[in-house]
Amino acid sequence: MSNALRTIRGREHLTGWLLLLPALMLLALVFAYPILRAFWLSLFIENLGTNLEPVFTGLGNYVRMVGDGRFWQSLWITTIFTVIAVTIELVLGMAIALVLNESFRGRGLARTIAILPWALPTALIALSWQWIFNGEFGVWNDILLRLGILQEPINWLGEPGLALASTIAADIWKTTSFVAILLLAGLQSISEDLYEAHAIDGATPWQSFRQITLPMVMPQILIAVLFRFAQSFGIFDLVQVMTGGGPAGSTEVVSVYIYATVMRYLDFGYGAALVVITFLILVAVVAIAAFLLSKAQNRTEGV
Amino acid sequence: MHRNWLRWLASKKVKSLLMAVILFVSSLSLVMMAVAQQQPIRLTMMLQASELMPLQELVRDFEAENPDIRIELIEGPDNTNLREDLYTTAFLLGDSAYDLVYMDIAWVPKFAAAGWLLDISSRLQVQEREDFLSGDIEGGSYEGKLYRMPFRSDGGMLYYRQDLLEEAGYAPPDTTEELLEISQDLQAQGKAQWGYVWQGQQYEGLSAMFVEILHGFGGLWVDPDTLEVGLDQPQAIAAVNFLKQTIAERVSPSGVTSYQEEEARRVFQSGQVVFMRNWPYVWRLASEEGSPIRDRFGIKPMVHAPGYSSGACQGGWGIGIAKTTRHPDAAYKAAAYFASPEAQKKFILESGFVPSRRSLFTDPELVAAYEYLPDLLEVIDNSVLRPPIAQYAQASDVLQRYLSAALTNQRTPERAMEAAARETRQLLQR
Repeated sequence: MSNALRTIRGREHLTGWLLLLPALMLLALVFAYPILRAFWLSLFIENLGTNLEPVFTGLGNYVRMVGDGRFWQSLWITTIFTVIAVTIELVLGMAIALVLNESFRGRGLARTIAILPWALPTALIALSWQWIFNGEFGVWNDILLRLGILQEPINWLGEPGLALASTIAADIWKTTSFVAILLLAGLQSISEDLYEAHAIDGATPWQSFRQITLPMVMPQILIAVLFRFAQSFGIFDLVQVMTGGGPAGSTEVVSVYIYATVMRYLDFGYGAALVVITFLILVAVVAIAAFLLSKAQNRTEGV
Repeated sequence: MHRNWLRWLASKKVKSLLMAVILFVSSLSLVMMAVAQQQPIRLTMMLQASELMPLQELVRDFEAENPDIRIELIEGPDNTNLREDLYTTAFLLGDSAYDLVYMDIAWVPKFAAAGWLLDISSRLQVQEREDFLSGDIEGGSYEGKLYRMPFRSDGGMLYYRQDLLEEAGYAPPDTTEELLEISQDLQAQGKAQWGYVWQGQQYEGLSAMFVEILHGFGGLWVDPDTLEVGLDQPQAIAAVNFLKQTIAERVSPSGVTSYQEEEARRVFQSGQVVFMRNWPYVWRLASEEGSPIRDRFGIKPMVHAPGYSSGACQGGWGIGIAKTTRHPDAAYKAAAYFASPEAQKKFILESGFVPSRRSLFTDPELVAAYEYLPDLLEVIDNSVLRPPIAQYAQASDVLQRYLSAALTNQRTPERAMEAAARETRQLLQR
C-alpha cells in the first residue's frame, strides 16, 4: 500500500478511484441495493399466511417455483411474445430504415413521423389498441368486415390465441420505429464508395445488401435486439392495460404474474424470488448478446 | 464584525423585539390550530363511477345532519380489481389516502389479515346486527371480528321462464336432475333453443357460480377453521361432472365456457333459454319495457343434487374503516349512516340494488318498486360464502384455472380437481 502510493502511477490510480467514488456510490444505491434487497427478501416467506412477517425459508421460494405451473406458463408466454415481436420488428424496422435512408422529397418529415409511435406513452397506446381490437365497436373488425374477410365480428381480446397476437401487434406498432431509427443510424455510417465499387464489380443490389449492408449494420442490429429483448421480456404496461393478462391467463407475461403475486396476493417473498430469477434470465441473455456484439464489432473493424 | 453582531443581538432593544416576535408567532399558530379544529373533519372514500351518483345523495343528507363532517367521494376505475389494487397500494404505502373503504365482500379476509382495517365488532350493537343478513355479517368478518359494515347485498340464484314451465305443466325445479329433464323436454319440443346458461369463463364469476353447485352437491372448497381442502372429494367431482353434463347433453351451449354474467343475461333475455344462473341485477333489466321476457320469468334458490340443500353465493358491498384514519369515530358514524335503513332505502329506490337489512325486503315501498324482493330474501337466506381465508384471491385463481381446464376438456374432472386441491393445500400450508 505505502509502496504503491509512493509511485506516481499508484497515486494516479488512487485519484482515479477517488474521482470514481461518487459515481460508484450512486450506482450502488440505485442498482446494487435494490437487487441485493430483492435477493435477501426472496429467502423469506412474507405473505398473508405469515401475517406479513418475514419467516426465513432459505431456498424454499425457489423450490416452490419449480412446481409452479403458472410461472412456467408465464415464462413461456413471455418467450413467445418476445421472439415473435422482436423478429418482426427487426425485419420491418430494417425495411423502414432502408426506405428512410434513400433520398426523396419529404424525407425529414417521414423520419419525424416514423419516430412518433415510439414517443407516445405506452399506456395510452395500449388503450387505443384495446379499442381498435374491441369486438363490437373496434375499427379492425370494421375493416375486415367491409373487406369481406370476416363474416362476423371477432372478439380479438376475448379469445386466448388471438389476444396474444393482438398484444404482439400493438407492441410491433409501437417499437418498430425505435428499431428503424437505430438501424438508420447504422446505414448512414456506411460509405457510398463501397456500394459503387461493389456495383462496378458486377454485384446485384441484393448481393450488396447481403455482403455490405448487413455485415456493416450488424452492431446496430445486435444493439437493437439487445434493447428490444430486455424491454419485451419485461413488458408490463402494454399487456396490463390491454388485457390484464387474460383471457384465462393466455397473455399473462412474467411481469404481470409478478405484479399479481406481489400486489394482489401480497406474497412478497415469493414475488421477490420471481423477480430474481427473471432478472438472472435477462442478465444471462444480455451477456450472451453483448459477447456476440463485441465479436461483431471486432469483425467490422477488421474490414 | 462578528463580535459586533453578537453584541447588537444582546442589546436590550433587540432582545425585547425578539421576544415580541416570538410571542406573535406562537399566538398566531395557536389561533390557527383552533381554527383548524373548527374545520370540518374530512373523510375520503373511493368507489366506482356508476355508484357515485346515488351515493352522493346520501352524503348530502349525512352532511346536513353532521355539519362537522365532510365526506369526499373519489371516483375510481370501473374494474373491481383495479380499485382493489388502488386501495392495496394506498395501504402498502402506509398512510392511506382513504378513511373509508368501499369494499367487495371478497376483499375482507385479505384486507383484514393484512391489518389494514379497523375492527368494528364492539361498535355495532348485537341487536342491530340481527337485522343484517347473516351472510353479510359473516362475509364481513375475519377470524370472528367484524371489519365491514354491510351496505348492499348480492346473491346468486336461478332464473326460470315461468310461461314455458306453466305451459308444459312443470313446477320450477329444485334438483339438478329436474333441471336437466325439463330443459331437454322443452328443447325437444322446440320451445327453447337452450336449457340452461351459466358463467363458465375463467374469472372470479366462475368461482362464485361453482360455490353454489359445490354446496348443492354437499361438497367443500376450503374449511376456513381447519383449512381442510375438499376439492378432490367425490362430492366436488360430482359437481364438476354436473356442469360438464349440461354441456355434453347440449342443455347448455358449448360457448358457455366463455360466458360471464352479461353473455348469459343477453341470451336469456332474448327468450331462447329456459334457465339461467345469475345475480339480482338481471331482474331489473329483464323487466324493463321492451324486454321479450318481461313478466314471463321467476326467480328461485339454486338447484341442488337430491338430498342436499340449495346455496346462493354471497356477494355484496360494504364499508370498512382504514386503520390509518385519524377520525375513526367520524368514519364509523358515516359507515353506520350509509348502512341505516333510511339511507339504504333511498339508495335502493334510486339504484335498484339489494338491501343488506332483512326488514327492507318486506318494506311496502320497496316491494312496490321491486316486487321480487320477498322471493329474493328466500334466495339470500341460503347464502354460502366463498372461503373467508386470507389467501382467497390465490385460492380462487387456482380453482378457476383447473375448473376451466376440466370444463373445456383439457383435463378429466378427477385430474383437474386433484391438481387444484394439491395446489390449494400447498398454498394454505405456508
